[in-house]
Amino acid sequence: MTTQEPVIVIDKLEKSYGKIQAVRGISMSVKRGEIFGFLGPNGAGKTTTIRCMLDVIRPSAGTIRVLGIDAQQDKLALHKRIGYLPGEVRLPGQMTGKQVIDYFSRLQGLEPVMLNDLIARFDVEVKRPMKSYSKGMRQKIGIVLAFMCDPEVLILDEPTSGLDPLLQKTFHELLQEEQAREKTIFMSSHIMSDVEKVCQRVAVIRNGELVTIEEVEKLREKAGQRVIVEFGDTVTKEELAAIPGVIDVTKNNRAYHLNVGGSMDPLIKSFSRHEVLRMQAEEAPLEEVFLKFYEEPEKATTAKQ
Amino acid sequence: MATTTISKNIPVPKKRSHGLTIMTRTILNSRTPLVAGCFYGLFFAILLAAIYPAIAQAHINAYLQSNIIAVMIGGHISNISGFTAFLGIEIYSALYGLLFGGIIAYIGGAAIPVTIENGTLDLALSRPISRTRYYLECWMSTLTCGVIIGLMIVLAVWIDTFLIKDAGINWQWLWITQFVQWAFLFFAAGLGMLLGSFIDASRAAGGAAVGIIVLGYLINTFGALSDKFNWLLKIEPFYYAPGIDPLVNHQLTWWYPWVLVVAGLILGIAGLVVFNKRDFPAV
Repeated sequence: MTTQEPVIVIDKLEKSYGKIQAVRGISMSVKRGEIFGFLGPNGAGKTTTIRCMLDVIRPSAGTIRVLGIDAQQDKLALHKRIGYLPGEVRLPGQMTGKQVIDYFSRLQGLEPVMLNDLIARFDVEVKRPMKSYSKGMRQKIGIVLAFMCDPEVLILDEPTSGLDPLLQKTFHELLQEEQAREKTIFMSSHIMSDVEKVCQRVAVIRNGELVTIEEVEKLREKAGQRVIVEFGDTVTKEELAAIPGVIDVTKNNRAYHLNVGGSMDPLIKSFSRHEVLRMQAEEAPLEEVFLKFYEEPEKATTAKQ
Repeated sequence: MATTTISKNIPVPKKRSHGLTIMTRTILNSRTPLVAGCFYGLFFAILLAAIYPAIAQAHINAYLQSNIIAVMIGGHISNISGFTAFLGIEIYSALYGLLFGGIIAYIGGAAIPVTIENGTLDLALSRPISRTRYYLECWMSTLTCGVIIGLMIVLAVWIDTFLIKDAGINWQWLWITQFVQWAFLFFAAGLGMLLGSFIDASRAAGGAAVGIIVLGYLINTFGALSDKFNWLLKIEPFYYAPGIDPLVNHQLTWWYPWVLVVAGLILGIAGLVVFNKRDFPAV
């Protein structure tokens, strides 16, 4: 496998549970050294896709290749080179953190070379039995299990779930350092700020179908800007909606709220014909774009085009 | 909170032996029923030694030789005398399969589902461990539990020989009897593994396996009530694991235990096929 080839290639993946189609023919690829975000509402098919990648569940159709290895045909060769964090870390209550780490390091067949660094970085408690751990503490153990043997590819399902903001920041730093070491990271998340901060590209899945794959920067452009403006003279909503680049307009008391995509020039020129009492412009949060993909099929399709 | 950064020079991880990690962990997961089985084995054998002087003097032969008792213990003892006869009734009768077979069936049934419940199956199968290896190590752990319980019972019988004067145990036939019972436990393990391969809840899978053992015991009981029901005996496992015959009467149809071994093997392999094909639920 050359360094140019994608590390993860999912091709027309389908997964059905009886009559329910959880994943409907999704295709995507992830480049080496990329942090790839996989987003979607609950039940969209994110975890199903991830579990197909690990062969814990078997696809109904389609193929998955990771590091050039077929995830179903030669899974043992593949599993030697990947680290996995499940969506919910639930470990045996009677085992201590140390026992859990030793157990999975043995199953991996490798020494946990990053263990001490990870324990220090995330301040992980390993002497207590798992039953005394909070959700956040179990999540930290899950992160240690995924990273400890220094895998080439990391598959992370909701990695920051249950982590406090400080630990989330530490985790983001870890991801960026791993990316600098040419590691490929595929992560699903519900937390938009996670994706905004660390991912280069995102795929959005809804009802088992891929809605979009986009670079985060381009999504940010699509998100455009949010403008709040208050006029001293009479301006109608229709007039504002007709300005090129204005996506939508709402009125809140005397102020208009506009979402603007692309250049602000037509807007400014149009405003100059009126008496502007107050104006405020800010970048629209990326979260709104994601939510549109989640909620509005028509708009999502337009955005994809 | 620590703010250490990961050092840039991370060494290449050295290889580490898998060993029988899954098997060891599964035995540890099964420690409650395993300890219960060992305890009951020791307790009943030692209790028997303690009460033997009294029951040996009691006039209960007619009661023990009754048909009702014979169907309950899955065998008829023509001459009840000596410690071995009581050992045959109390431990190495059909009750052995019911109690210890039930425990092994439960351990086998719960071995895999418990790892679905505690979230370790996903994590284990995402490592370079094949499903076949995972299943076989779980099966091996169940069989090991059966061996431990069996050895514990033999140990208890050996302790009895120090407590009772002239216990008169024929060790060759006691070991043969023990091997027959191990064949039953082998069957119970295969049954449990099959049910655990497709039932996701440990208590449901273990309970279903125990239920089938109990059903077998009931069929064994009813089948012995009348010649008309004799055919029933041949479709349940207890018939092929006689304890009283080899221990007390020193006779055994040699191929009977092999029926249980073959049946256990078929059930276990069927479970392996199911385990290899199926999808596992998320935690």
